[in-house]
Amino acid sequence: MPKHYRPAGKKKEGNAARYMTRSQALKSLQVNLNLFRRLCIVKGIFPREPKKKVKGNHHTYYHVKDISFLQHEPLLEKFREIKTYQKKVQKAKAKKNEELARLLLTRQPTYKLDRLIRERYPTFIDALRDLDDCLTMVHLFAVLPASDRENLEVKRVHNCRRLSHEWQAYISRTHALRKVFVSVKGIYYQAELEGQKITWLTPHAIQQVFTNDVDFGVLLTFLEFYETLLAFTNFKLYHSLNVKYPPILDSRLEALAADLYALSRYIDASSRGMTVEAKVDASSSSQSNDRAESELRLAQLQHQLPSSEPGALMHLVADKEVEEDEETRACKSLFKDLKFFLSREVPRESLLFVLPAFGGTVSWEGEGAPFKEDDESITHHIIDKPSAGHMYLSREYVQPQWIYDCVNARVILPTEKYLVGRIPPPHLSPFVDNEAEGYVPDYAETIKRLQAAARNDVLPLPGVGKEDLEDPQNLLYAGVMSRAEEAEAAKTKKKMAELEKQYHEELKKEVTGSAVDDVAAAPVVEGGDGEESSVPDAAQIAQDTADMPTLMMSRKKRKLYDAMKIGQKKKSESVERIKQRKKNLKADQ
Amino acid sequence: MGKRAKSSRKGKKAWRANISTEDIEDFFEKSTKDALSGGNLSAAPSDDLFHVDKSHDVPVKRKIEKHREKVLRCDSVLKKNPFVQVVSSSKPKSKISEKKKKTNVVESKSSKQPQKNVDDGSVMMDLWGDDYNNGENENNPRKIWKMTSTIPAVEVDPAGCSYNPTAESHEDMLAEAVAQEMQKVYKTELGPEPVPLTIDGDANIEDEAGLLSVCNRIINGKSAYFLGVDNGSEGEEEADAENESPEAGNKLARTTKRVTRVVLNKRSRQKALRKMETKEKLKEKMSKEIDCLPKILKEIAKEDKEKQNKLIRRKVAKEEVLKIRPPRLGKHKFEAPPVQVLLTEEMTGSLRKLKACCTLARDRFKSLEKRGILVPSKNIRR
Repeated sequence: MPKHYRPAGKKKEGNAARYMTRSQALKSLQVNLNLFRRLCIVKGIFPREPKKKVKGNHHTYYHVKDISFLQHEPLLEKFREIKTYQKKVQKAKAKKNEELARLLLTRQPTYKLDRLIRERYPTFIDALRDLDDCLTMVHLFAVLPASDRENLEVKRVHNCRRLSHEWQAYISRTHALRKVFVSVKGIYYQAELEGQKITWLTPHAIQQVFTNDVDFGVLLTFLEFYETLLAFTNFKLYHSLNVKYPPILDSRLEALAADLYALSRYIDASSRGMTVEAKVDASSSSQSNDRAESELRLAQLQHQLPSSEPGALMHLVADKEVEEDEETRACKSLFKDLKFFLSREVPRESLLFVLPAFGGTVSWEGEGAPFKEDDESITHHIIDKPSAGHMYLSREYVQPQWIYDCVNARVILPTEKYLVGRIPPPHLSPFVDNEAEGYVPDYAETIKRLQAAARNDVLPLPGVGKEDLEDPQNLLYAGVMSRAEEAEAAKTKKKMAELEKQYHEELKKEVTGSAVDDVAAAPVVEGGDGEESSVPDAAQIAQDTADMPTLMMSRKKRKLYDAMKIGQKKKSESVERIKQRKKNLKADQ
Repeated sequence: MGKRAKSSRKGKKAWRANISTEDIEDFFEKSTKDALSGGNLSAAPSDDLFHVDKSHDVPVKRKIEKHREKVLRCDSVLKKNPFVQVVSSSKPKSKISEKKKKTNVVESKSSKQPQKNVDDGSVMMDLWGDDYNNGENENNPRKIWKMTSTIPAVEVDPAGCSYNPTAESHEDMLAEAVAQEMQKVYKTELGPEPVPLTIDGDANIEDEAGLLSVCNRIINGKSAYFLGVDNGSEGEEEADAENESPEAGNKLARTTKRVTRVVLNKRSRQKALRKMETKEKLKEKMSKEIDCLPKILKEIAKEDKEKQNKLIRRKVAKEEVLKIRPPRLGKHKFEAPPVQVLLTEEMTGSLRKLKACCTLARDRFKSLEKRGILVPSKNIRR
């Protein structure tokens, strides 16, 4: 009897019963490959790797339950319907019945994904947790060129653009941005929303290309799902701010590609208005906001702020609600009194997002900007040219990296190093934990010192004192930082003491060769017995005492210990290597 | 009354005899009876005939109400204070009824909304709010299988990939990128040479031998060491064959010696003896083993523990591997995208002059592959 003989009629068991290949799945679902792929992406069903691949290593396997889950999806029926409908259209076209074809196309059946989003993300937190990929994809497609070949329509690109701006506007409004890192690939952002850390990557302001090794059909399907997800997320977030969701934007600003600015203004205006509306139910008397253009006012007439006392109060309450924790407050007040002006050549999109998120006011060169370049109150002019043409003395001309570094360090760094025409200091990644890595770059240490100094400064200033004194935590923190140097001194002292102690111990060891026990007890584990102690040679004893703990260990423990040692050595070696390299580099220069 | 005649008769006399007057007589009888007793009963109103006796029993409904009206002392104490609202004793019931009313309203509203939604997709609603109820999904949501991959969706580049990195970390990153490239180069160098499409052999290959030699040359060039192994084994086989042949000859020549009774007896005795010996040895061994049973038990425990440890170790190792590369899902292995790092001469420190990566779509695609969401494939478009 062959090894794998299974009598007829007996059911399959194990992996053979639990998994099916992709082609089997296609057959059982009665769909084509294209549709199957779309369904899988939309439903969140992924191939799996069974322990035993029954049909061979070159197949893709799906779990049987996943497939049966797909089988009961109403969307499957909908897709089939669409397919038959398209056949109708094709038929009409083939018969040269253009009129009918056109008519049919206007009544095409459509489908929606909101039920699926609800299914995959039962709670809002779940959705936030899975937003990384979504945001990155939407930000990417917002800058891709529309193309017929890839079936990427202009409408979708615009939609992506809108969604990404809405997201950014919310983040900057709530000051939830935490980290920014400019890499070669793009700009990484990290925001913290409801305790979830959301990281996303936006491309640089250059033309993105379509490459041959990417299946854009798949990416577009992902995008379709992600667009829906982000739209619903934005909806929820905007409603938490009491802002109507599909925002109505100032068409002039939109035309000038300053969507983000338009959005932030919309949020400002309507969040004020809406909070009041809840209380007063006012739709009539609207105060004319001087800054607002007339179009904007027309669009948002019902949301405007009436000039009544409870309105202002409510506004205050709303603002209190928004800022919850220490960190948000710190982020909000980083660029509080600073006014920025962006030159033409700096990455505007990114800076327009980052600066308001940390409390700064921004303007840029171009139409629709809030204030002009010759404004006297501008404190910082962001410029990325070798030299500025006309310089105002009242402001500082800095490179854009200064802003990113300030944001990551949470202090206003001195601008000398970032001035126009100089090569700025290295841009460090805020995502790297220097302590864990074991190597701290020079500039990181400088920043650390500056941070400590900034915290020290806060304390003795008499004018600011009261608020800070009331905040004991802050005070404590500042105190700790002020003691940083002191602690360092203490550490060196301790080290010296240790060395001395060791020396004394060695001396004692030499004098009394037999007293091994108390010496051996000092380093690590089980105390050694006195068998080896009969050997009179002092050097030998020292060697033995060093080996003792390892000798006494079981083999397993010893191996583990060795492995640990090797790991530590590796780490220290790598740090050493980096230091050596640095030295070499310095020597070269 | 009377018997019915079989045949009809003619004449008035016969008719009169056939008609019955029973009902008329009954009526007269009844009316006279009524007149005597004092009026027709069926015509009289029911109030005259019956009356409800209300003297004794209390209606059930009123009884309950009365019970409810009774105010508890604690409540009455509270009630005296006009600023304190009385906690009603039947709160949960009323709450439920209120909810029902509310939900009814909501349902009537929401039932209209979805119909609208079918028409245009622009209408948004709060997916995660309370009022979004989709019925069956709420009650029995399928436990969706979460990805086992621990690779984050957006992996942040290391510090060396910064647009203006520190020299040390940049060098580190550069070394990594170079290593990646060199690995590719080595792979192509060390791999088997591709079969040449054309052979630049001698022009006059006519006979079979010449052709064979050319073939051999190709094969040898391609996989020399495989052939070497083959040759070796062949040689051994030949040698074996040579060794065997003389033995076979000897066998044929040898005359078998006759086995005598004595020899047979001896053999059988020896056999029995051997059997006994082994039996005894076995017994001895068994008794020894029984003596050191705790030791054996210990050994078994130790083995079990080792096995367990091995299992754990293997599991951990597998997880470690999964952190850097996805499971093998299809025909092709996942290939990591090249590291995006600036060359040393490209490092300018200016954001404006940065030579940035323009293939972020590929990065996304590779990330999807790396997380095991997509099956890695080769050459999507040629």
